[in-house]
Amino acid sequence: MADFYQTGIIITLHKLGRPSLERIEHEILEFSKQRPIALVLPALYTEFQADAIKGIVEELKKVKYVQEIVLTLGRATDEQFKEVKKFMSQIPYEVKVIHNEGKRIKEIYATLERNGLWPGEDGKGRSCWTAYGFVIANGKSDVIALHDCDIVTYNREMLARLCYPVVNPHIDVTFCKGFYSRVSDRMHGRVTRLLVTPLVRSLEKIVGFHPFLVFLDSFRYPLAGEFCMITDLARVLRIPWDWGLEVGVLSEVFRNYSARRVSQVDIADNYEHKHQPLSAEDAQKGLMRMCVDISKTIFRVLAAEGVVFSDALFKSLEVAYLRFAEDTMMKYEADAAINGLVFDRHEETKAVEAFANAIKKAAQIFIESPMGTPLIPNWNRVGSAIPGIFDMLKKAVEEDNK
Amino acid sequence: MENFIHVLLDPLKDFWAGFIVFVPKFIAMFIIFAGGVIIAWALKLLLLRTLLAANFDAWADKAGLTAIIRKGDIWGKPSDISGKILYWFVVIIFLMIGLNALQIQTVDKVVSQFFLYLPRIFSALLIFVIGYVIAGFISRAVLIAAVNSGYHYAKIVAEAVRLLLIVFILAMVLEQLSVAPSIVVAAFSIMFGGVVIALAIAFGVGGIDAARRIIEKGSEEKKEAEKDVEHL
Repeated sequence: MADFYQTGIIITLHKLGRPSLERIEHEILEFSKQRPIALVLPALYTEFQADAIKGIVEELKKVKYVQEIVLTLGRATDEQFKEVKKFMSQIPYEVKVIHNEGKRIKEIYATLERNGLWPGEDGKGRSCWTAYGFVIANGKSDVIALHDCDIVTYNREMLARLCYPVVNPHIDVTFCKGFYSRVSDRMHGRVTRLLVTPLVRSLEKIVGFHPFLVFLDSFRYPLAGEFCMITDLARVLRIPWDWGLEVGVLSEVFRNYSARRVSQVDIADNYEHKHQPLSAEDAQKGLMRMCVDISKTIFRVLAAEGVVFSDALFKSLEVAYLRFAEDTMMKYEADAAINGLVFDRHEETKAVEAFANAIKKAAQIFIESPMGTPLIPNWNRVGSAIPGIFDMLKKAVEEDNK
Repeated sequence: MENFIHVLLDPLKDFWAGFIVFVPKFIAMFIIFAGGVIIAWALKLLLLRTLLAANFDAWADKAGLTAIIRKGDIWGKPSDISGKILYWFVVIIFLMIGLNALQIQTVDKVVSQFFLYLPRIFSALLIFVIGYVIAGFISRAVLIAAVNSGYHYAKIVAEAVRLLLIVFILAMVLEQLSVAPSIVVAAFSIMFGGVVIALAIAFGVGGIDAARRIIEKGSEEKKEAEKDVEHL
């Protein structure tokens, strides 16, 4: 059982006792009559060859309060798309599959590009953004929930707990992020544990008090891919298309809404999904690329907030980060010891060293190009530039799903 | 026996004579058609270059033309589609001219009818494109006006206006193409008239009380004004 401590400036919803899933689902069903829910599932075709998706679909079949599921599929041929569509058709309510590699959606991306609206490179960011556009175009849902399709330990309680704070008008938050522990015989989630938290705290120490850093530090699992938001937020989101997606979304939430209307919720006792290799030597692959993208996004958000970055600041940051990360590692070692978990200090130290290099690399990139690649534009801007875009997107998805 | 040989050879001679006359016409048709394909290809290329330079695709996206094309489940670039239309149009014209070279009476009639019908196709296309763009603008203006007035059903009203205008444009297009003109005009009159009468009745029945209040207020103000007359 979790404690009931409220972390930081956002609302933290814990899992206390044994809350009844039936009660939560019943309440959501009632609330969803006023605030219909869309579930967005970003997935690659390769995920349909694994077992996790089978478990997710089995659980989703039992969910009664979701208005529509929008599965946004990447890296799939036309044949594979048909296969996925057939597989998803066992869910007894509306499911639409977005074929991101299909000719219709590709033409939508081409339309955006020729109007100066770059939708980003192929990836989770662009796929999710397209799915939000479809939900807006469809006009059926007021709330969007999102989770990945590689969760081995998935059960429908995760979805219910994720949606509850946003659909419940008495709580009335605009954005809710999931948190959980990722433990098997050891602790996982290296990027959150050993990069994001130490980096944010080092920045707080060097830059001083900054509302965005406090906001970011309030999240127990800022890189969790599971969140729920009001559809209006999806209209104004400008998100990065790379691994900076999660931090980018948080920065947009911070920019658009008061922290009093933002929450995080304990969605699972344990969470298991695929693990990325570290690839410490190559900053273009695996966790290293993820760390570079995340660090860049944090620097750019802070720069946009008025923080002045210099070579000297980055040098201090590297040193401060290493100190913080080492201290954090000691805490996790103690935590592992009391819980009888394996703790490979050498591997963790290697990860910290790799992450320090990633921060250095991100700093270099930031100094060379502070603006970086543009963010994916928000749907309000897209709708204003191309008035018929929502009709086109809806038509494309509907034709693909015929 | 000689007679029999004549009977046997005469049709072959006639066929040969006809064939000798037909072959040059056929070759002429083929040359005209082949030339047409080359000209069509060149014109398509020229049009594509021009449209690209004029940033036609982005204009079509903004003006809503791309959205119309997509409604027909066509997913090419508007400039590519325009190029293809021009290409096939020129090819068909040259095919007609080529068929004319065959000098077959029935084909000649079809060809002349086709050329007489061409201006109608042009004007119908023009009416549709301009009409659709105007309908889009008017619908958007209605939407903005209704939203600014705080009207709850702004989107429905704007869509209804757009739908009515498109029906109106389609009736004009069909009339221009001479597709069952009497039926089109009658159907349009009945439908449009029906909508107007329905609106008039709805407004009339719903507005009885409001109209009474306005009339009563007017007559009361008149009486008051009469009472206020001061005699010298």
